[in-house]
Amino acid sequence: MVDLKMLAEAVIRGDAKECARLTQEGLDNGLSPQVLLNDGLMAGMAVIGERFKCNDIYVPEVLIAARAMKAGMVILRPKLAETGAKPVGKVVAGTVKGDLHDIGKNIVCMMLEGAGFQVTDLGNDVAPERFIQAIKEQEAQIVGMSALLTTTMLNMKGTIEALKAAGLREKVRVMVGGAPVTQRFAEEIGADGYAENAAVAVEKAKELLAVH
Amino acid sequence: MMMTHRERILAVLNHKEPDRLPLDLGSAIATTMTAKAHERMRAYLGLPSEPPPATFSRRSSTVIPDEAILRRFDVDARPLILGNPDGRPDREVSPDAFVDEWGVTWARPEGGHFISTDGPFYHQDEPTREDLEKFPWPDPADPGRYRGLRERAKELHEKTDYAVMLNLGVGPVHQCQFVRGYGEWLEDLLINRAFAEGLMDRVVEIWVEITDRALEEAGDSVDLVMYGDDVGTQKGLLLRPELYRQVIKPRHKRMADCVKRHGKPILYHSCGSVYALVPDLIEVGIDALNPIQVTAAEMDTRRLKREFGRDLIFWGGINTQRVLPLGTPEEVREEVMRRIEDLAEGGGYVLCAVHNIQPEVPPENVVTMYEAAQEYGR
Repeated sequence: MVDLKMLAEAVIRGDAKECARLTQEGLDNGLSPQVLLNDGLMAGMAVIGERFKCNDIYVPEVLIAARAMKAGMVILRPKLAETGAKPVGKVVAGTVKGDLHDIGKNIVCMMLEGAGFQVTDLGNDVAPERFIQAIKEQEAQIVGMSALLTTTMLNMKGTIEALKAAGLREKVRVMVGGAPVTQRFAEEIGADGYAENAAVAVEKAKELLAVH
Repeated sequence: MMMTHRERILAVLNHKEPDRLPLDLGSAIATTMTAKAHERMRAYLGLPSEPPPATFSRRSSTVIPDEAILRRFDVDARPLILGNPDGRPDREVSPDAFVDEWGVTWARPEGGHFISTDGPFYHQDEPTREDLEKFPWPDPADPGRYRGLRERAKELHEKTDYAVMLNLGVGPVHQCQFVRGYGEWLEDLLINRAFAEGLMDRVVEIWVEITDRALEEAGDSVDLVMYGDDVGTQKGLLLRPELYRQVIKPRHKRMADCVKRHGKPILYHSCGSVYALVPDLIEVGIDALNPIQVTAAEMDTRRLKREFGRDLIFWGGINTQRVLPLGTPEEVREEVMRRIEDLAEGGGYVLCAVHNIQPEVPPENVVTMYEAAQEYGR
Protein backbone atom coordinates (compact mmCIF):
# COMPACT_ATOMS: atom_id res chain seq x y z
CA MET A 1 0.00 0.00 0.00
CA VAL A 2 1.44 3.31 -1.01
CA ASP A 3 1.31 5.95 1.59
CA LEU A 4 -0.07 9.08 -0.07
CA LYS A 5 1.34 11.06 2.78
CA MET A 6 4.80 9.85 1.84
CA LEU A 7 4.21 11.02 -1.72
CA ALA A 8 3.14 14.44 -0.49
CA GLU A 9 6.21 14.56 1.72
CA ALA A 10 8.47 13.67 -1.18
CA VAL A 11 7.07 16.72 -3.01
CA ILE A 12 7.59 18.91 0.05
CA ARG A 13 11.20 17.70 0.41
CA GLY A 14 11.79 18.19 -3.30
CA ASP A 15 12.84 14.59 -3.77
CA ALA A 16 12.09 14.04 -7.46
CA LYS A 17 13.31 10.44 -7.63
CA GLU A 18 11.24 9.34 -4.67
CA CYS A 19 8.25 11.19 -6.05
CA ALA A 20 8.47 9.35 -9.37
CA ARG A 21 8.99 6.02 -7.62
CA LEU A 22 6.03 6.46 -5.26
CA THR A 23 3.75 7.66 -8.06
CA GLN A 24 4.58 4.61 -10.16
CA GLU A 25 4.18 2.33 -7.18
CA GLY A 26 0.79 3.87 -6.49
CA LEU A 27 -0.40 3.21 -10.02
CA ASP A 28 0.99 -0.33 -9.90
CA ASN A 29 -0.97 -0.92 -6.71
CA GLY A 30 -4.16 0.16 -8.38
CA LEU A 31 -4.57 3.67 -6.95
CA SER A 32 -6.38 5.99 -9.31
CA PRO A 33 -4.30 8.69 -10.97
CA GLN A 34 -6.73 11.29 -9.66
CA VAL A 35 -6.16 10.20 -6.08
CA LEU A 36 -2.39 10.21 -6.52
CA LEU A 37 -2.64 13.70 -8.00
CA ASN A 38 -5.06 15.15 -5.45
CA ASP A 39 -3.92 13.51 -2.25
CA GLY A 40 -0.25 13.10 -3.14
CA LEU A 41 1.25 15.68 -5.49
CA MET A 42 -1.29 18.47 -5.00
CA ALA A 43 -1.43 17.92 -1.26
CA GLY A 44 2.35 18.38 -1.17
CA MET A 45 2.24 21.52 -3.29
CA ALA A 46 -0.51 22.97 -1.10
CA VAL A 47 1.83 22.73 1.88
CA ILE A 48 4.61 24.32 -0.18
CA GLY A 49 2.29 27.19 -1.11
CA GLU A 50 1.32 27.82 2.50
CA ARG A 51 4.92 27.73 3.70
CA PHE A 52 6.08 30.00 0.89
CA LYS A 53 3.35 32.50 1.66
CA CYS A 54 4.49 32.93 5.23
CA ASN A 55 8.25 32.95 4.41
CA ASP A 56 8.81 29.62 6.09
CA ILE A 57 10.43 28.46 2.86
CA TYR A 58 11.87 30.43 -0.05
CA VAL A 59 12.26 30.26 -3.82
CA PRO A 60 14.84 27.41 -3.87
CA GLU A 61 12.58 25.08 -1.86
CA VAL A 62 9.62 25.93 -4.09
CA LEU A 63 11.66 25.18 -7.21
CA ILE A 64 12.79 21.75 -6.08
CA ALA A 65 9.28 20.89 -4.87
CA ALA A 66 7.89 21.82 -8.27
CA ARG A 67 10.58 19.73 -9.91
CA ALA A 68 9.55 16.76 -7.77
CA MET A 69 5.89 17.31 -8.56
CA LYS A 70 6.74 17.33 -12.27
CA ALA A 71 8.56 14.03 -11.95
CA GLY A 72 5.31 12.56 -10.67
CA MET A 73 3.18 14.42 -13.23
CA VAL A 74 5.15 12.97 -16.14
CA ILE A 75 3.93 9.54 -15.03
CA LEU A 76 0.39 10.62 -14.16
CA ARG A 77 -0.43 12.86 -17.11
CA PRO A 78 -1.08 10.11 -19.71
CA LYS A 79 -3.16 8.18 -17.17
CA LEU A 80 -5.19 11.27 -16.29
CA ALA A 81 -5.83 11.87 -19.99
CA GLU A 82 -7.09 8.29 -20.35
CA THR A 83 -9.57 8.76 -17.55
CA GLY A 84 -10.73 12.07 -18.96
CA ALA A 85 -10.02 13.93 -15.72
CA LYS A 86 -10.91 17.59 -15.86
CA PRO A 87 -8.56 20.32 -14.61
CA VAL A 88 -9.72 22.74 -11.93
CA GLY A 89 -9.50 25.48 -14.52
CA LYS A 90 -7.58 26.54 -17.62
CA VAL A 91 -5.01 29.28 -17.43
CA VAL A 92 -2.92 30.97 -20.09
CA ALA A 93 0.07 32.82 -18.64
CA GLY A 94 3.04 34.82 -19.83
CA THR A 95 5.41 37.71 -19.17
CA VAL A 96 4.19 40.71 -21.16
CA LYS A 97 5.75 42.15 -24.27
CA GLY A 98 9.14 43.77 -23.84
CA ASP A 99 9.99 41.81 -20.70
CA LEU A 100 12.14 38.68 -20.53
CA HIS A 101 11.97 38.17 -16.77
CA ASP A 102 10.25 34.92 -16.03
CA ILE A 103 11.19 33.35 -12.71
CA GLY A 104 8.20 34.82 -10.87
CA LYS A 105 5.82 33.84 -13.63
CA ASN A 106 7.31 30.33 -13.70
CA ILE A 107 6.72 29.91 -9.98
CA VAL A 108 3.11 31.05 -10.36
CA CYS A 109 2.62 28.52 -13.18
CA MET A 110 4.13 25.73 -11.07
CA MET A 111 1.90 26.57 -8.13
CA LEU A 112 -1.20 26.68 -10.34
CA GLU A 113 -0.32 23.32 -11.84
CA GLY A 114 0.28 22.03 -8.36
CA ALA A 115 -3.26 23.12 -7.49
CA GLY A 116 -4.78 21.24 -10.40
CA PHE A 117 -5.00 23.95 -13.04
CA GLN A 118 -4.11 23.30 -16.65
CA VAL A 119 -1.54 25.97 -17.42
CA THR A 120 -0.38 27.05 -20.86
CA ASP A 121 2.85 28.97 -20.28
CA LEU A 122 3.52 31.27 -23.23
CA GLY A 123 6.97 32.21 -21.92
CA ASN A 124 8.15 35.81 -21.99
CA ASP A 125 7.95 38.86 -24.29
CA VAL A 126 4.39 37.81 -25.10
CA ALA A 127 2.56 40.14 -27.46
CA PRO A 128 -1.20 40.72 -26.98
CA GLU A 129 -1.95 38.73 -30.14
CA ARG A 130 -0.26 35.67 -28.69
CA PHE A 131 -2.27 35.89 -25.49
CA ILE A 132 -5.43 36.19 -27.58
CA GLN A 133 -4.58 33.25 -29.79
CA ALA A 134 -3.77 31.01 -26.84
CA ILE A 135 -6.92 32.00 -24.94
CA LYS A 136 -8.98 30.99 -27.96
CA GLU A 137 -7.09 27.76 -28.58
CA GLN A 138 -7.14 26.64 -24.97
CA GLU A 139 -10.57 28.05 -24.16
CA ALA A 140 -8.85 29.52 -21.14
CA GLN A 141 -10.89 30.92 -18.28
CA ILE A 142 -8.02 32.94 -16.86
CA VAL A 143 -5.19 34.86 -18.45
CA GLY A 144 -2.26 35.69 -16.19
CA MET A 145 0.18 38.48 -17.05
CA SER A 146 3.49 39.17 -15.37
CA ALA A 147 6.02 42.03 -15.54
CA LEU A 148 9.14 42.91 -13.60
CA LEU A 149 9.77 46.34 -15.06
CA THR A 150 7.69 49.45 -14.55
CA THR A 151 8.21 50.11 -18.25
CA THR A 152 6.68 46.83 -19.38
CA MET A 153 4.05 46.74 -16.65
CA LEU A 154 2.25 49.36 -18.73
CA ASN A 155 1.87 46.79 -21.52
CA MET A 156 -0.63 44.93 -19.34
CA LYS A 157 -3.09 47.69 -20.01
CA GLY A 158 -2.52 47.38 -23.75
CA THR A 159 -3.13 43.64 -23.58
CA ILE A 160 -6.41 44.17 -21.74
CA GLU A 161 -7.46 46.63 -24.43
CA ALA A 162 -6.54 44.09 -27.11
CA LEU A 163 -8.70 41.51 -25.32
CA LYS A 164 -11.62 43.93 -25.45
CA ALA A 165 -11.05 44.60 -29.14
CA ALA A 166 -10.99 40.86 -29.81
CA GLY A 167 -14.29 40.42 -27.96
CA LEU A 168 -12.66 38.22 -25.32
CA ARG A 169 -12.65 40.47 -22.30
CA GLU A 170 -15.97 39.21 -20.97
CA LYS A 171 -15.00 35.58 -21.52
CA VAL A 172 -11.77 35.51 -19.57
CA ARG A 173 -10.70 36.70 -16.14
CA VAL A 174 -7.51 38.74 -16.12
CA MET A 175 -4.93 38.25 -13.37
CA VAL A 176 -1.80 40.38 -13.06
CA GLY A 177 1.31 40.19 -10.93
CA GLY A 178 5.02 40.89 -10.79
CA ALA A 179 7.31 42.98 -8.62
CA PRO A 180 6.04 46.51 -9.38
CA VAL A 181 2.38 45.53 -9.78
CA THR A 182 0.00 46.45 -6.97
CA GLN A 183 -3.70 46.05 -6.24
CA ARG A 184 -4.14 49.70 -7.06
CA PHE A 185 -2.43 49.33 -10.43
CA ALA A 186 -4.49 46.21 -11.19
CA GLU A 187 -7.66 48.18 -10.55
CA GLU A 188 -6.45 51.13 -12.59
CA ILE A 189 -5.92 48.98 -15.68
CA GLY A 190 -9.14 47.03 -15.19
CA ALA A 191 -7.75 43.61 -14.27
CA ASP A 192 -9.95 41.19 -12.32
CA GLY A 193 -7.36 39.93 -9.91
CA TYR A 194 -3.96 40.74 -8.45
CA ALA A 195 -1.82 38.52 -6.31
CA GLU A 196 1.27 39.63 -4.45
CA ASN A 197 2.90 36.21 -4.62
CA ALA A 198 2.52 32.79 -6.20
CA ALA A 199 0.68 31.22 -3.29
CA VAL A 200 -1.89 33.99 -3.22
CA ALA A 201 -2.19 33.70 -7.01
CA VAL A 202 -3.58 30.18 -6.59
CA GLU A 203 -6.16 31.39 -4.07
CA LYS A 204 -7.08 34.26 -6.35
CA ALA A 205 -7.47 32.01 -9.39
CA LYS A 206 -9.77 29.68 -7.43
CA GLU A 207 -11.73 32.64 -6.14
CA LEU A 208 -12.20 34.04 -9.65
CA LEU A 209 -13.52 30.70 -10.91
CA ALA A 210 -15.42 30.01 -7.68
CA VAL A 211 -13.71 26.65 -7.12
CA HIS A 212 -12.53 25.30 -3.81
CA MET B 1 30.58 75.51 6.76
CA MET B 2 30.23 74.67 3.09
CA MET B 3 31.69 71.31 2.16
CA THR B 4 32.99 70.14 -1.18
CA HIS B 5 31.03 67.39 -2.88
CA ARG B 6 33.61 64.79 -1.85
CA GLU B 7 33.73 66.00 1.74
CA ARG B 8 29.96 65.71 1.89
CA ILE B 9 29.96 62.05 0.82
CA LEU B 10 32.90 61.24 3.10
CA ALA B 11 31.20 62.95 6.04
CA VAL B 12 28.14 60.78 5.54
CA LEU B 13 30.26 57.64 5.20
CA ASN B 14 31.84 58.58 8.53
CA HIS B 15 28.43 59.02 10.14
CA LYS B 16 28.92 62.75 10.44
CA GLU B 17 26.37 65.41 9.61
CA PRO B 18 27.05 66.96 6.18
CA ASP B 19 26.33 70.60 5.32
CA ARG B 20 23.47 69.39 3.15
CA LEU B 21 21.96 66.09 2.08
CA PRO B 22 24.23 64.46 -0.51
CA LEU B 23 22.67 63.37 -3.80
CA ASP B 24 23.50 60.71 -6.31
CA LEU B 25 22.70 60.19 -9.93
CA GLY B 26 24.89 58.10 -12.17
CA SER B 27 27.80 57.31 -9.88
CA ALA B 28 26.84 53.64 -9.63
CA ILE B 29 25.54 51.01 -11.96
CA ALA B 30 22.13 50.99 -10.28
CA THR B 31 21.76 54.73 -9.62
CA THR B 32 21.90 56.07 -13.14
CA MET B 33 19.53 56.54 -16.10
CA THR B 34 18.56 54.46 -19.09
CA ALA B 35 19.55 55.94 -22.44
CA LYS B 36 15.94 56.78 -23.24
CA ALA B 37 15.30 58.47 -19.90
CA HIS B 38 18.49 60.49 -20.47
CA GLU B 39 17.34 61.52 -23.94
CA ARG B 40 14.00 62.67 -22.51
CA MET B 41 15.79 64.57 -19.75
CA ARG B 42 17.99 66.40 -22.26
CA ALA B 43 14.94 67.43 -24.26
CA TYR B 44 13.08 68.52 -21.11
CA LEU B 45 15.98 70.65 -19.91
CA GLY B 46 16.61 72.07 -23.37
CA LEU B 47 20.05 70.49 -23.63
CA PRO B 48 21.55 69.51 -27.00
CA SER B 49 20.71 65.97 -28.10
CA GLU B 50 24.28 65.36 -29.29
CA PRO B 51 26.81 63.90 -28.72
CA PRO B 52 25.53 60.52 -27.51
CA PRO B 53 26.26 60.01 -23.80
CA ALA B 54 28.85 57.46 -22.67
CA THR B 55 27.48 54.01 -22.00
CA PHE B 56 27.44 53.01 -18.34
CA SER B 57 26.19 49.45 -18.75
CA ARG B 58 25.35 47.92 -22.07
CA ARG B 59 23.25 45.24 -20.39
CA SER B 60 20.90 47.60 -18.64
CA SER B 61 20.88 50.19 -21.46
CA THR B 62 22.19 52.84 -19.08
CA VAL B 63 24.38 55.87 -19.67
CA ILE B 64 26.60 58.19 -17.66
CA PRO B 65 24.48 61.34 -17.45
CA ASP B 66 25.71 64.59 -19.01
CA GLU B 67 27.72 66.83 -16.73
CA ALA B 68 25.14 69.54 -17.45
CA ILE B 69 22.44 67.38 -15.86
CA LEU B 70 24.61 66.30 -12.92
CA ARG B 71 25.61 69.90 -12.17
CA ARG B 72 22.08 71.12 -12.43
CA PHE B 73 21.06 68.63 -9.72
CA ASP B 74 24.32 69.24 -7.86
CA VAL B 75 25.16 65.53 -7.69
CA ASP B 76 28.02 64.69 -5.35
CA ALA B 77 29.67 61.58 -6.82
CA ARG B 78 31.02 60.40 -10.16
CA PRO B 79 31.57 56.88 -11.50
CA LEU B 80 34.80 55.08 -12.28
CA ILE B 81 34.26 52.05 -14.49
CA LEU B 82 36.58 49.20 -15.47
CA GLY B 83 37.34 48.60 -19.15
CA ASN B 84 36.35 45.62 -21.24
CA PRO B 85 38.69 42.62 -21.50
CA ASP B 86 40.93 42.60 -24.60
CA GLY B 87 41.14 38.82 -24.73
CA ARG B 88 37.45 38.12 -24.77
CA PRO B 89 35.37 41.09 -25.88
CA ASP B 90 31.59 40.67 -26.22
CA ARG B 91 30.83 38.43 -29.17
CA GLU B 92 27.96 39.88 -31.16
CA VAL B 93 25.25 37.42 -32.08
CA SER B 94 22.71 39.90 -33.44
CA PRO B 95 21.82 43.55 -32.78
CA ASP B 96 19.81 42.27 -29.82
CA ALA B 97 22.10 39.55 -28.46
CA PHE B 98 25.73 39.07 -27.45
CA VAL B 99 27.86 36.62 -25.52
CA ASP B 100 30.09 37.94 -22.73
CA GLU B 101 33.46 36.74 -21.44
CA TRP B 102 31.78 34.18 -19.17
CA GLY B 103 30.01 32.59 -22.12
CA VAL B 104 26.70 34.09 -20.99
CA THR B 105 24.23 35.07 -23.70
CA TRP B 106 22.50 38.39 -23.17
CA ALA B 107 19.38 39.08 -25.22
CA ARG B 108 16.82 41.84 -25.24
CA PRO B 109 13.34 42.21 -26.57
CA GLU B 110 12.82 45.07 -29.00
CA GLY B 111 13.64 48.32 -27.24
CA GLY B 112 14.17 46.63 -23.88
CA HIS B 113 16.97 45.66 -21.51
CA PHE B 114 19.31 42.75 -21.93
CA ILE B 115 18.87 39.82 -19.63
CA SER B 116 20.86 36.62 -19.40
CA THR B 117 19.14 33.94 -21.43
CA ASP B 118 21.76 31.21 -21.73
CA GLY B 119 25.06 30.25 -20.18
CA PRO B 120 27.75 27.60 -20.17
CA PHE B 121 26.18 25.49 -17.40
CA TYR B 122 22.52 26.06 -18.28
CA HIS B 123 21.65 22.75 -19.83
CA GLN B 124 23.40 20.31 -17.56
CA ASP B 125 21.26 18.21 -15.30
CA GLU B 126 23.84 17.79 -12.64
CA PRO B 127 27.07 19.68 -13.35
CA THR B 128 30.07 18.70 -11.24
CA ARG B 129 33.23 20.25 -9.84
CA GLU B 130 35.14 18.56 -12.68
CA ASP B 131 33.08 20.64 -15.10
CA LEU B 132 34.37 23.70 -13.27
CA GLU B 133 37.98 22.55 -13.74
CA LYS B 134 37.49 22.30 -17.48
CA PHE B 135 35.81 25.66 -17.89
CA PRO B 136 37.77 28.51 -19.53
CA TRP B 137 37.31 31.24 -16.90
CA PRO B 138 37.68 34.95 -17.63
CA ASP B 139 41.21 36.26 -17.11
CA PRO B 140 41.27 38.67 -14.16
CA ALA B 141 44.65 40.00 -15.32
CA ASP B 142 43.37 41.03 -18.77
CA PRO B 143 44.95 44.47 -19.29
CA GLY B 144 41.88 45.83 -21.04
CA ARG B 145 40.11 46.08 -17.68
CA TYR B 146 42.70 48.45 -16.23
CA ARG B 147 43.84 50.46 -19.23
CA GLY B 148 43.58 54.15 -18.45
CA LEU B 149 41.91 53.44 -15.11
CA ARG B 150 44.56 55.19 -13.06
CA GLU B 151 44.47 58.26 -15.30
CA ARG B 152 40.69 58.50 -15.30
CA ALA B 153 40.56 58.11 -11.52
CA LYS B 154 43.30 60.67 -11.00
CA GLU B 155 41.63 63.19 -13.24
CA LEU B 156 38.34 62.84 -11.37
CA HIS B 157 40.07 63.01 -8.05
CA GLU B 158 42.38 65.93 -8.76
CA LYS B 159 40.44 68.02 -11.26
CA THR B 160 37.02 67.73 -9.64
CA ASP B 161 35.83 67.72 -6.06
CA TYR B 162 33.37 64.87 -6.55
CA ALA B 163 33.54 61.60 -4.65
CA VAL B 164 34.94 58.88 -6.93
CA MET B 165 32.97 55.64 -6.94
CA LEU B 166 34.72 52.57 -8.32
CA ASN B 167 32.10 50.23 -9.80
CA LEU B 168 32.97 46.55 -9.54
CA GLY B 169 31.33 43.46 -10.97
CA VAL B 170 28.44 41.57 -9.44
CA GLY B 171 28.93 39.04 -6.65
CA PRO B 172 28.53 35.27 -6.67
CA VAL B 173 24.73 35.09 -6.46
CA HIS B 174 24.24 37.01 -9.66
CA GLN B 175 27.23 35.69 -11.55
CA CYS B 176 26.39 32.07 -10.75
CA GLN B 177 22.84 32.65 -11.89
CA PHE B 178 24.12 34.13 -15.14
CA VAL B 179 26.32 31.14 -16.00
CA ARG B 180 24.07 28.40 -14.58
CA GLY B 181 20.52 29.76 -14.87
CA TYR B 182 18.61 31.69 -12.26
CA GLY B 183 16.42 28.89 -10.97
CA GLU B 184 18.88 26.10 -11.66
CA TRP B 185 21.49 27.67 -9.41
CA LEU B 186 18.99 28.15 -6.61
CA GLU B 187 18.10 24.47 -6.93
CA ASP B 188 21.81 23.56 -6.92
CA LEU B 189 22.15 25.24 -3.53
CA LEU B 190 19.83 22.58 -2.14
CA ILE B 191 20.50 19.51 -4.25
CA ASN B 192 23.95 19.99 -5.80
CA ARG B 193 25.72 21.99 -3.13
CA ALA B 194 29.25 20.94 -4.05
CA PHE B 195 28.88 22.37 -7.52
CA ALA B 196 27.08 25.50 -6.31
CA GLU B 197 29.82 26.24 -3.80
CA GLY B 198 32.62 25.41 -6.23
CA LEU B 199 31.13 27.78 -8.78
CA MET B 200 30.80 30.53 -6.19
CA ASP B 201 34.43 30.10 -5.18
CA ARG B 202 35.66 30.53 -8.73
CA VAL B 203 33.53 33.63 -9.18
CA VAL B 204 34.75 35.14 -5.92
CA GLU B 205 38.42 34.35 -6.69
CA ILE B 206 38.13 36.19 -10.00
CA TRP B 207 36.27 39.07 -8.39
CA VAL B 208 38.87 39.45 -5.66
CA GLU B 209 41.77 39.45 -8.10
CA ILE B 210 40.10 42.05 -10.31
CA THR B 211 39.32 44.20 -7.28
CA ASP B 212 42.89 43.93 -5.96
CA ARG B 213 44.31 44.90 -9.31
CA ALA B 214 41.87 47.78 -9.83
CA LEU B 215 42.52 49.23 -6.39
CA GLU B 216 46.30 48.79 -6.69
CA GLU B 217 46.06 50.72 -9.94
CA ALA B 218 43.65 53.47 -8.98
CA GLY B 219 43.02 53.14 -5.24
CA ASP B 220 44.72 56.44 -4.39
CA SER B 221 42.00 58.28 -6.26
CA VAL B 222 39.01 56.19 -5.24
CA ASP B 223 36.71 57.31 -2.43
CA LEU B 224 34.43 54.28 -2.27
CA VAL B 225 33.62 51.11 -4.16
CA MET B 226 30.27 49.73 -5.21
CA TYR B 227 29.10 46.24 -6.07
CA GLY B 228 25.88 44.31 -5.96
CA ASP B 229 24.49 40.86 -5.43
CA ASP B 230 20.71 40.61 -5.19
CA VAL B 231 19.48 38.49 -2.30
CA GLY B 232 16.02 40.00 -1.91
CA THR B 233 12.70 39.77 -3.72
CA GLN B 234 9.55 41.87 -3.52
CA LYS B 235 8.05 39.63 -0.82
CA GLY B 236 11.08 38.63 1.21
CA LEU B 237 14.54 37.15 1.02
CA LEU B 238 15.50 35.13 -2.04
CA LEU B 239 16.60 32.26 0.15
CA ARG B 240 16.46 31.09 3.74
CA PRO B 241 18.52 33.37 6.00
CA GLU B 242 20.32 30.27 7.36
CA LEU B 243 21.28 29.31 3.82
CA TYR B 244 22.63 32.81 3.20
CA ARG B 245 24.67 32.65 6.39
CA GLN B 246 26.01 29.22 5.67
CA VAL B 247 26.85 29.47 2.00
CA ILE B 248 26.89 33.03 0.71
CA LYS B 249 27.90 35.15 3.67
CA PRO B 250 31.44 33.72 3.95
CA ARG B 251 32.00 34.55 0.28
CA HIS B 252 30.56 38.04 0.69
CA LYS B 253 32.94 38.43 3.61
CA ARG B 254 35.90 37.47 1.44
CA MET B 255 34.91 40.18 -1.01
CA ALA B 256 34.42 42.83 1.66
CA ASP B 257 37.71 41.88 3.33
CA CYS B 258 39.48 42.43 0.03
CA VAL B 259 38.07 45.96 -0.29
CA LYS B 260 38.85 46.69 3.35
CA ARG B 261 42.51 45.69 2.85
CA HIS B 262 42.62 48.67 0.52
CA GLY B 263 40.90 50.81 3.13
CA LYS B 264 37.86 51.72 1.07
CA PRO B 265 34.24 52.05 2.16
CA ILE B 266 31.73 49.72 0.50
CA LEU B 267 28.40 50.57 -1.06
CA TYR B 268 26.59 47.27 -1.45
CA HIS B 269 23.52 46.88 -3.65
CA SER B 270 20.78 44.35 -3.23
CA CYS B 271 17.32 44.85 -4.59
CA GLY B 272 14.27 43.63 -2.76
CA SER B 273 13.46 42.91 0.83
CA VAL B 274 16.74 42.48 2.72
CA TYR B 275 15.68 43.67 6.16
CA ALA B 276 16.23 40.23 7.68
CA LEU B 277 19.84 40.17 6.50
CA VAL B 278 20.92 43.69 7.40
CA PRO B 279 22.76 42.60 10.58
CA ASP B 280 24.63 40.02 8.49
CA LEU B 281 25.52 42.58 5.85
CA ILE B 282 26.87 44.88 8.54
CA GLU B 283 28.89 42.00 9.94
CA VAL B 284 30.23 41.24 6.47
CA GLY B 285 31.62 44.77 6.48
CA ILE B 286 29.50 46.88 4.19
CA ASP B 287 29.27 50.57 4.99
CA ALA B 288 26.34 51.66 2.86
CA LEU B 289 23.29 49.88 1.51
CA ASN B 290 21.62 50.55 -1.81
CA PRO B 291 18.87 50.81 -3.01
CA ILE B 292 16.50 50.54 0.03
CA GLN B 293 13.66 49.22 -2.12
CA VAL B 294 10.92 50.87 -0.15
CA THR B 295 8.06 49.05 -1.89
CA ALA B 296 9.43 45.60 -0.98
CA ALA B 297 8.26 43.80 2.15
CA GLU B 298 9.71 44.97 5.47
CA MET B 299 11.71 47.82 3.94
CA ASP B 300 10.20 50.46 6.21
CA THR B 301 12.70 53.29 6.15
CA ARG B 302 11.90 54.61 9.60
CA ARG B 303 12.48 51.22 11.20
CA LEU B 304 15.64 50.58 9.17
CA LYS B 305 17.09 53.87 10.35
CA ARG B 306 16.10 53.29 13.95
CA GLU B 307 17.50 49.78 14.07
CA PHE B 308 20.56 50.07 11.88
CA GLY B 309 21.28 53.76 11.39
CA ARG B 310 24.20 53.64 13.78
CA ASP B 311 26.07 51.14 11.62
CA LEU B 312 24.70 51.64 8.15
CA ILE B 313 24.47 54.40 5.54
CA PHE B 314 21.35 54.38 3.37
CA TRP B 315 21.78 55.13 -0.33
CA GLY B 316 18.67 55.39 -2.52
CA GLY B 317 15.16 55.21 -1.15
CA ILE B 318 13.02 57.19 -3.59
CA ASN B 319 10.15 54.94 -4.70
CA THR B 320 10.95 53.77 -8.19
CA GLN B 321 8.11 51.30 -8.63
CA ARG B 322 5.17 53.61 -8.12
CA VAL B 323 5.90 57.24 -7.34
CA LEU B 324 8.55 58.10 -9.93
CA PRO B 325 6.90 56.47 -12.96
CA LEU B 326 3.23 56.97 -12.05
CA GLY B 327 3.06 59.64 -9.36
CA THR B 328 2.42 63.36 -9.68
CA PRO B 329 5.19 65.87 -8.97
CA GLU B 330 3.40 66.59 -5.70
CA GLU B 331 3.62 62.91 -4.75
CA VAL B 332 7.31 62.92 -5.67
CA ARG B 333 7.84 65.89 -3.38
CA GLU B 334 6.05 64.14 -0.52
CA GLU B 335 8.10 60.99 -1.12
CA VAL B 336 11.34 62.97 -0.94
CA MET B 337 10.26 64.71 2.27
CA ARG B 338 9.28 61.40 3.83
CA ARG B 339 12.55 59.64 3.06
CA ILE B 340 14.61 62.59 4.24
CA GLU B 341 12.64 62.66 7.46
CA ASP B 342 13.07 58.92 7.93
CA LEU B 343 16.70 58.52 6.93
CA ALA B 344 18.70 61.73 6.99
CA GLU B 345 18.89 62.59 10.67
CA GLY B 346 22.47 62.90 11.86
CA GLY B 347 23.79 62.20 8.36
CA GLY B 348 23.76 58.69 7.02
CA TYR B 349 21.67 59.20 3.90
CA VAL B 350 22.51 59.74 0.23
CA LEU B 351 19.37 60.35 -1.80
CA CYS B 352 18.60 58.91 -5.20
CA ALA B 353 15.97 56.78 -6.90
CA VAL B 354 15.70 53.15 -5.88
CA HIS B 355 16.88 52.08 -9.32
CA ASN B 356 18.02 53.42 -12.66
CA ILE B 357 15.61 55.99 -14.07
CA GLN B 358 13.50 54.07 -16.56
CA PRO B 359 12.27 55.35 -19.94
CA GLU B 360 8.68 55.98 -18.85
CA VAL B 361 9.56 58.14 -15.84
CA PRO B 362 8.48 61.72 -16.62
CA PRO B 363 11.55 64.01 -16.59
CA GLU B 364 9.47 66.45 -14.56
CA ASN B 365 9.31 63.92 -11.73
CA VAL B 366 13.08 63.47 -11.78
CA VAL B 367 13.66 67.22 -11.71
CA THR B 368 11.12 67.54 -8.88
CA MET B 369 12.91 64.81 -6.94
CA TYR B 370 16.26 66.63 -7.04
CA GLU B 371 14.79 70.08 -6.48
CA ALA B 372 12.82 68.84 -3.48
CA ALA B 373 15.93 67.09 -2.16
CA GLN B 374 17.87 70.34 -2.44
CA GLU B 375 15.11 72.25 -0.75
CA TYR B 376 14.43 69.86 2.14
CA GLY B 377 17.93 68.48 2.48
CA ARG B 378 19.40 71.57 4.10
